[in-house]
Amino acid sequence: MNEVDVLVKMINQISINNRHHGEDAAAAEEVAHHLKKFWARRMKQQIIEYAEQGGADLNDVSKLAVARLKALSDEVESWPQTSDAG
Amino acid sequence: MLNYFDPKQPDSGQPHNGFDPSLFERDLGTPARTSTKAVALTIDGFEISVPEGTSVMRAAALAGITVPKLCATDNMEAFGSCRLCAVEIEGRRGYPASCTTPVTEGMSVTTQNGKLAKLRRNIMELYISDHPLDCLTCPANGDCELQDMAGAVGLREVRYGYEGANHLDAKIDDSNPYFSFDPSKCIVCSRCVRACGEVQGTFALTIDGRGFGSMVSAGQNEPFMDSECVSCGACVQACPTSTLMEKSVIEEGVPEHSVVTTCAYCGVGCSFEAQMKGDKLIRMVPYKGGDANHGHSCVKGRFAFGYATHKDRIREPMIRDSIDQPWRAVSWEEALEFSAKRLKGIQETYGRDSVGGITSSRCTNEETYLVQKLIRAAFGNNNTDTCARVCHSPTGYGLKTTLGESAGTQTFDSVMKADAILVIGANPTDAHPVFASMMKRRLREGAELIVADPRRIDLLKTPHAEKGLHLALKPGTNVALVNALAHVVITEGLEDKAFVAERCDTEGYQKWRTFIQEARHAPEVSEAETGVPAALVRTAARRYATAGNGAIYYGLGVTEHSQGSTTVMAIANLAMATGNIGREGVGVNPLRGQNNVQGSCDMGSFPHELPGYQHVANTEVRERFESVWNAKLDDEPGLRIPNMFDAAVAGTFKGLYVQGEDIAQSDPNTQHVEAALSALDCLIVQDIFLNETAKFAHVLLPGATFLEKNGTFTNAERRINRVRRVMPPVAGKEDWEVTQALSNALGYPMNYSHPSEIMDEIAQLTPTFTGVNYQRLEELGSIQWPCNDDNPIGTPTMHGVDFPIGKGHFAITEYVATEERTNRRYPLLLTTGRILSQYNVGAQTRRTANSEWHEEDVLEIHPVDAEDRGLKDGDWLGIRSRVGHTVLRCRVSDRMAPGVVYTTFHHPGSGANVITTDNSDWATNCPEYKVTAVQVEKVSQPSDWQQRFQQFDEQQQRYLERADESEGMTIK
Repeated sequence: MNEVDVLVKMINQISINNRHHGEDAAAAEEVAHHLKKFWARRMKQQIIEYAEQGGADLNDVSKLAVARLKALSDEVESWPQTSDAG
Repeated sequence: MLNYFDPKQPDSGQPHNGFDPSLFERDLGTPARTSTKAVALTIDGFEISVPEGTSVMRAAALAGITVPKLCATDNMEAFGSCRLCAVEIEGRRGYPASCTTPVTEGMSVTTQNGKLAKLRRNIMELYISDHPLDCLTCPANGDCELQDMAGAVGLREVRYGYEGANHLDAKIDDSNPYFSFDPSKCIVCSRCVRACGEVQGTFALTIDGRGFGSMVSAGQNEPFMDSECVSCGACVQACPTSTLMEKSVIEEGVPEHSVVTTCAYCGVGCSFEAQMKGDKLIRMVPYKGGDANHGHSCVKGRFAFGYATHKDRIREPMIRDSIDQPWRAVSWEEALEFSAKRLKGIQETYGRDSVGGITSSRCTNEETYLVQKLIRAAFGNNNTDTCARVCHSPTGYGLKTTLGESAGTQTFDSVMKADAILVIGANPTDAHPVFASMMKRRLREGAELIVADPRRIDLLKTPHAEKGLHLALKPGTNVALVNALAHVVITEGLEDKAFVAERCDTEGYQKWRTFIQEARHAPEVSEAETGVPAALVRTAARRYATAGNGAIYYGLGVTEHSQGSTTVMAIANLAMATGNIGREGVGVNPLRGQNNVQGSCDMGSFPHELPGYQHVANTEVRERFESVWNAKLDDEPGLRIPNMFDAAVAGTFKGLYVQGEDIAQSDPNTQHVEAALSALDCLIVQDIFLNETAKFAHVLLPGATFLEKNGTFTNAERRINRVRRVMPPVAGKEDWEVTQALSNALGYPMNYSHPSEIMDEIAQLTPTFTGVNYQRLEELGSIQWPCNDDNPIGTPTMHGVDFPIGKGHFAITEYVATEERTNRRYPLLLTTGRILSQYNVGAQTRRTANSEWHEEDVLEIHPVDAEDRGLKDGDWLGIRSRVGHTVLRCRVSDRMAPGVVYTTFHHPGSGANVITTDNSDWATNCPEYKVTAVQVEKVSQPSDWQQRFQQFDEQQQRYLERADESEGMTIK
């Protein structure tokens, strides 16, 4: 599995474990906060990029969660310059 | 009048204001009593008041009067067999034994007079008439209670002669590698037999025969090694003569000084006296003043310390350009400059986030703190993680979410007040043996035992307490089982409504209550998933909820699953719903694996949290650290260990500093880990041996064992204990000094002169540690955090009044089956665990005589599964999972249910982790070690991986041996 496949597996698993929050949107909110709190900058970037390219293997909650993550991260714009050349 | 208060009574569990080591230097004869009722009496004219139930012997000792004794010792109940402690009591006939006589109000005792002296001399004369008179050449010379007592009673002659029948020719049993048993020196006081039963709880020893023929016997008159003996050392410690004696003392003589320190094996964190001759460690003796172990030990801490002076120790720094080159031994300066140059070069080329580090759960708090500080401040990112990632990270997540703090709630002593003990996915007798002994003592006193584990663990065979319930669940179904237990509690009205109403968040509780009441959580429904009969689940739930004090203990069988965090939360829910939180005897108790895994988590090893579990995104927190550290900190979490591996394989993560962890052996999916490590441009390994990870390294920095450094460890009960240096580090530096030197080489200055200064900085920045410093640790002996203005002497029991998050939070714990499923190709479930004599990756214990108990890892398989495949004991078995293949020897065993196989991972060549997958806990990425679908078949040769491993291992060992020969090589 390449790096992005791993992230897709991770987020889908987080989504499945948070589905009990009722509506997909509510679950996605939990998932987005989880990612914000625990995922590294580069991992967030990669999953957002993957979703923007269609996010084929993301489940429904994960798709909503990535969209929400993007909205949550005001700093998104300032990510690339400072830290990660890779 | 002497008013006596003993602040360290073993089961008082109360915080204490002061610690007086002198209390533990003497043997007071019989155990402390906890009664609050005081009884006053007179002994030899001195008045003293002691708790009701105290023996006359102990009362005398507390008054400073020593009554001669042989069969009594203060860590076990009085036995009254030697009669040497006879006293006179006014108004009573004869000469009662002071050890078995409890004090009464107004009693008047005489311990010394002419009649008593004559009586004692006569008793000693009988003992000595059947005892060799080789005191001068005896290994116990100078450390023998029999010798002391002969002196104390003034024995001058033995009128019986030595010609009659005697035991002087009794044969020595040398079978145990660590101690010898010489029955010719035995006085049959039964201290060893009682220690084995009362203290250790194994009951391996007995007195065989009667009268003159009485002999101490291991098992059924077997050599010690063939008996049930677990080599904990309790009998050796209890023996008043040289009958049971450490071989190291026989060889080296009696130690001349000792230092109290903390064991570096498991999360129990036992205190030991390191008994020394100069800088040579002769023996480790469990320290009675240790709050975690109260003078008990196991085979690892007591005996398996020889690795510290093993020839394989890395003794000087080494470097090499690539891993297909021999090592070159260099100075510290050169190794550190080489490291700094490489790390900086990588960051220039690949970016700031392209390097990271792994802190050690084996090193001290101060060392762990320093490594994460180096990463955050000098590397400038948050790519720090620790081996808790692969063991108890779900505990951190789950308990923080529900109870508000990432730690267990109790002291170990709390178990002595538990009425029902629920053990989930833990094997205390093997993995936490000293605590298991205390637990077994409580079980013998009548506490109920419930074990949820795929395997029939030894705790279920506790002598005199064999009625435990065994819920033999299918691996991977923990959440379904704990939900079923909670379902029974709620639907049968067994919850503690008052506790929930007062202490828990009502809205969350109502949601959870609705969820858990749903019929799909009923044990009758989940039985299909868990394999545990519904009736058994109902009985277990009722026992836990209604026994009075219900205590839950859990281990890696809970955390190392795809739903590890969910199970931890389900456990917390169950404890809160039944009101089993916030007092002694109850609680949620994670049994921590490594000696300092609690500490490494506390010290900010995780990529998202600064010390004290303070999130990196919190600006106020970050600014506090930035001002003290004088560095800019990243506000985004860094990479976890598995993400580091993925990024390394992808080519964006190039440099790693690993202190005291063997990720190549301990982490799952070995071949993936090896690929990741091989992809690094700079791997710096700081360790005491050339471990599996070091074989992929470019820089090898010699580590120091716990005997070679100062610092602190934090055990599973949040207890901060001092580690004290007893010998110099083999390569001249304690581990914190190495990290400091690396930091300075990188241009981020660190200038600590002693670990106490690091602790002062920790206290300054960590709200739960503000009251901790080395002075205070000396005064109190040990401190359980939180220790701050609110809890100046620490916090033995947490959540007594409220939770750190205010109200307890019930989390919804939906069961989601793991993706790792059996099918026709992989029909068996493999689960992994530990055994008593070996420790984790075995780097230490494999280099001691402990290997005599466990030379190799084997695969345990149920007789039915073995018969289906035509397997018998000793066959070579090929074990194939979806990710890898390895070969182990077969042991047929009915301890698992059919369909489940089991192995340990103590030997690198076993490749247990070649077959474990990279599935992990949804919240923390803790690997799912405990569930791997496999097929097993008979084979005739090692697996491809094992053959490659062997070649690689031999090559790397050669590179190490050639380190000195390659001085001329140039390193870029």
